Amino acid sequence: MSVEIELRGARVRYGPLEALHGVDLAMPSGRLTVLLGRNGSGRSTALHALAGIVPLSGGRVLWRGEDVTGLDAFRRARRGLALVPEQRAVFGSLTVEEHFALVTGDVGGRTPAFEAFPALRGLLKRRVGTLSGGEQRMVAVSLALLSGAGVLLLDEPGQGLAPAAAARMHQVLAEQAADGGRTVVVAEQQLRGALRGAAVVHVLRRGSVAFTGEPAEPGFTRRTRW
Amino acid sequence: MASLTVDLALAGIAVGSAAALTGIGLIVTYRATGVLNLAHGAIAMVTAYLLRQLVVVWHWPTGAAAALCLLVVAPGIGVVLDLLVFRPLAARGAGTAETLVATLGVFVLLVGAAFLAWGGDARADVPSLVSARPVTLPGGLSVRLDTLVQFGAVAVVALAVAAVTRWTRIGDELRAVVDNRRLAVLRGIDADRVAAVGWAFGSFTAGLAGVLLAPYLRLDPYGLSLLVLETMAVAVGAGMRSLPAAVFTALVVGVAQSELTALHPTAAAQPLVQAVGANLFVVALLVSVFVLPRIGGVGAERAAAALTRGRRTTSPVGWAACAVVLLLPLGLRAMDLYAALQVPALAIVLLSIVVVTGYGGQISLGQAGYAGLGALFAAMLSSGTFFGLPPLDEFAALPLAVLLVAPLGLLTGWPAIRRRGLALALTTFALGVAVSRFVFAQPFFTSGLVLNRPRGLSGDRAFYVFELALLTAALLVVRNLHRGRLGRALAAMRDHEQGAAAAGVPVPRLKLFAFAVGAASAALGGALLGMAGRAFDPADFDPVRGLLWFAAVVVMGADSALGAVLAAGLLVGLDTGTHEGVSALVVGVLAVLLGRFPGGLVNTVLTRREERGAPRAGPLVAPDAVLTAEGRRVRDRVRSASGRGP
Amino acid sequence: MTAPLAARGITHRYGGFTAVDGVDLSVPAGRVTALVGHNGAGKSTLFDCLCGTVRPTSGRVFLAGRDVTRLPDHARARLGLARTFQQLAVFPGLTVEENVRVGAEQRRGLTAPGLAAGLIGLPQPGRSSARAATRAALRLLDLGASHRLRAADLPTGTLRRVELARVLASSPTVLLLDEPAAGLDQDEAEALGRVLRALAADGMALLLVEHDLDLVQRVADTVHEMAGGRLLGPGGAEEREGGGEVR
Repeated sequence: MSVEIELRGARVRYGPLEALHGVDLAMPSGRLTVLLGRNGSGRSTALHALAGIVPLSGGRVLWRGEDVTGLDAFRRARRGLALVPEQRAVFGSLTVEEHFALVTGDVGGRTPAFEAFPALRGLLKRRVGTLSGGEQRMVAVSLALLSGAGVLLLDEPGQGLAPAAAARMHQVLAEQAADGGRTVVVAEQQLRGALRGAAVVHVLRRGSVAFTGEPAEPGFTRRTRW
Repeated sequence: MASLTVDLALAGIAVGSAAALTGIGLIVTYRATGVLNLAHGAIAMVTAYLLRQLVVVWHWPTGAAAALCLLVVAPGIGVVLDLLVFRPLAARGAGTAETLVATLGVFVLLVGAAFLAWGGDARADVPSLVSARPVTLPGGLSVRLDTLVQFGAVAVVALAVAAVTRWTRIGDELRAVVDNRRLAVLRGIDADRVAAVGWAFGSFTAGLAGVLLAPYLRLDPYGLSLLVLETMAVAVGAGMRSLPAAVFTALVVGVAQSELTALHPTAAAQPLVQAVGANLFVVALLVSVFVLPRIGGVGAERAAAALTRGRRTTSPVGWAACAVVLLLPLGLRAMDLYAALQVPALAIVLLSIVVVTGYGGQISLGQAGYAGLGALFAAMLSSGTFFGLPPLDEFAALPLAVLLVAPLGLLTGWPAIRRRGLALALTTFALGVAVSRFVFAQPFFTSGLVLNRPRGLSGDRAFYVFELALLTAALLVVRNLHRGRLGRALAAMRDHEQGAAAAGVPVPRLKLFAFAVGAASAALGGALLGMAGRAFDPADFDPVRGLLWFAAVVVMGADSALGAVLAAGLLVGLDTGTHEGVSALVVGVLAVLLGRFPGGLVNTVLTRREERGAPRAGPLVAPDAVLTAEGRRVRDRVRSASGRGP
Repeated sequence: MTAPLAARGITHRYGGFTAVDGVDLSVPAGRVTALVGHNGAGKSTLFDCLCGTVRPTSGRVFLAGRDVTRLPDHARARLGLARTFQQLAVFPGLTVEENVRVGAEQRRGLTAPGLAAGLIGLPQPGRSSARAATRAALRLLDLGASHRLRAADLPTGTLRRVELARVLASSPTVLLLDEPAAGLDQDEAEALGRVLRALAADGMALLLVEHDLDLVQRVADTVHEMAGGRLLGPGGAEEREGGGEVR
């Protein structure tokens, strides 16, 4: 497995608090990676560091071996990296249709989003701020799917979704890696459903890596009673 | 009568339109960049001066001059400010206070530059872009062409903003950035480019407002800048959000201000109505800052702490040098000594900013108001015009004036209990402007005043010694606010207000205390300033001058008393030694560059020296290799005893 | 015996949203009480109501039997109610020792005469006891070696100890901790747990809002879960021994 993007010895501080204590996290190319950890474990911070919206206080970000630590977030996005943050992942004042127009010009290009989330078809004219939390998640993930980005980083994509919808969401993301050849990184609290098929699982605990390996490895369950 | 009402309304549209343009520009810049540009008025002023220079002095055709000023220079100023000043600040994650000081720095810099280039005299010959000839509208109404153009300019600019945000790519990007900046960046939008466009557009509206307004007034570096700054009220009133609300407020206030001139109330109310009528935008600013306390105040925790180093460095060398410099004028010729009289007085005024902002962490842009009140009260008390009191001896009038002004510190102290950062800065500034307009500019308070020096101190030399004695006393008091229990409580409040309250520090009371002490100090300095010049001169306490003072203190180091004394020397020395305006230029440049030496000049110099002398103890993350074997044993013993890791 | 801190019927609404809905809670002396729950469950708002940064829409807060509902945060602090902040409240402009000293000095109120005396430089009463309390707190949290350092440049773990030392220097009877382990690594979190147990053993009443369920399981005597602004009833630490996840 070649590495698509990785953190090396990454430290991140928010004022006096250090959220990542120098972590090494590698995401294999064209595969599904799952970041597990509780609130405050550093999951979101790791994704934000990869996407470039928080600066590192130490360490590096490598993308296909190239050091992109100093690259602006918008440039990383233009190079094909899409992060769906956990909170405020949509533009509340735009309609669903306007969201789609941000990433794809022609109407036909939206098909993957409707295949993944048929419910969105009937919501095109609605302002996203008026949608439910779960529907907003679908719009946010759709943006990443349609964007053509090769690296998808998703922070709790199943949040606010009913269990069946969350399972479907995870299935869609797993397929993006398996069939679409995209590098997909999902941060969640638990390893459920299609996420069990991940190539690599990283478990974060208090800003450090507690486990890295395949979900089937013997060490996983024992060392991840986080 | 009806036609008079209409005429007045049309006259009001002139200033209302300029205010509307200001409102639109300030809001667009704020939404695109998060910065409330206090330098807006100064950009308007400089553009108007430049137009006059091109047309009146260099005889350019008006059209070409206007095109250069409005389409190239004004937007260019905005882009340059963005590139050189505000983008580096944003990249560093600078907070509200630092950005605010940078905008103040730009303001002061431009005012100083205008002073140097064009002098302080008022110019009445700024060319109008459009003639004032009357045209008859279809309804039979006769309107001046320039009024029509002004109104049209607002309509065109407002519609253009609406159209651009609706239908263009940069408009989409702007809407995305305004809606959710982080997400816009994640979608590949270059937020810096959007910010640059916001700056360019904001500066363009400033230039347009300045060029449209200038023919109606006499142009001088202070007046137009301050007027445009007052019209900031409409942007604040619109919550820094809604363009239609800002335009509507601007036109309503402009028209109302004009209509009030037709009102002829009873003689007793006459001065008040006139004052309100002439300053309705100041009233609007006061109302909006008091009704909307939350503007920009969110997330401004530790706002002013960023302006300090919080380091209790004392510098005997610095103080000794300072003492020598202060004693030097005693050997000077009479003329130079007279100029030097301002230094200790101004130093005492500036110490009030050290107390309130540097120690207490509360941004106060209104200290010039308290200084002026000190001078005014001292003059009124000694002239016998203070609400029925008999004339007092100057030795009694001086301390009494200080004691009377101290409780007025609650005027800004009370709002400060609930406000922070930008909201507090605007509130204190609005109060300062209000005091200037409704007290200092009113004959009711200022007619028939004489202000003499205390008996036996009328000679310059004797008075200077008296000032030095009072400065020494003030410095000793200020030192007590920087040490001991009181100093620690103030520093805690400045560094982390909630944390200080959680530790039991009575934060509201301490804020009131800081503002009262600050008001008293400013009043003492102001009264001495008046006595030095033997008159109460409102121009000495102009709100714009207050902004210069604030910037000067922050540049030297907001929490440095030594810096305040040096700042006073610098301000007086530069202006009397060279040209008026040089000090503003220097302070402005330094304030704009403050990001390069956070904490101020004095602190930076002291820290450098300290670091050369003795290397600072590094952070506690001491890697094991640094400890000797004995050290490790000790540490492990301590760890196991207390049950704590490193 | 009245609990050192008790809340009765606390409700807090803002903008039509009920963040805390009729909560009764007692924080007994000598025990660690923990409050867990998802984001948005109302923990933080309840916490703010208890320490006085937010005044509840209805309900009462009692400190050692005294109704303190209308007292602001700093007044409650002087009555022995201390708190820590998730985002760390330290004063970077002061040294470690001065940070702690600020806490030690506030048991005695800063009154108008005190302000006047401070202004003209008169020594403040209670100096020696404040100094002693500062020294004791520094020793307790192993900060003796670093007391002269400025708090600005210290690592998170040390700053947590500085904050805790400042809090302890005011010898509180009740200690409210808002995610005290945020930003700490594993070892530091465990060490923190030992300190909290020691404080409880010393008779202090502790209330802990925490996401880290390991820490909660290790140190809490009682765990309350919050959801939708309500308290879902306590469970003893023993009940959680089976290792089932507490939510």
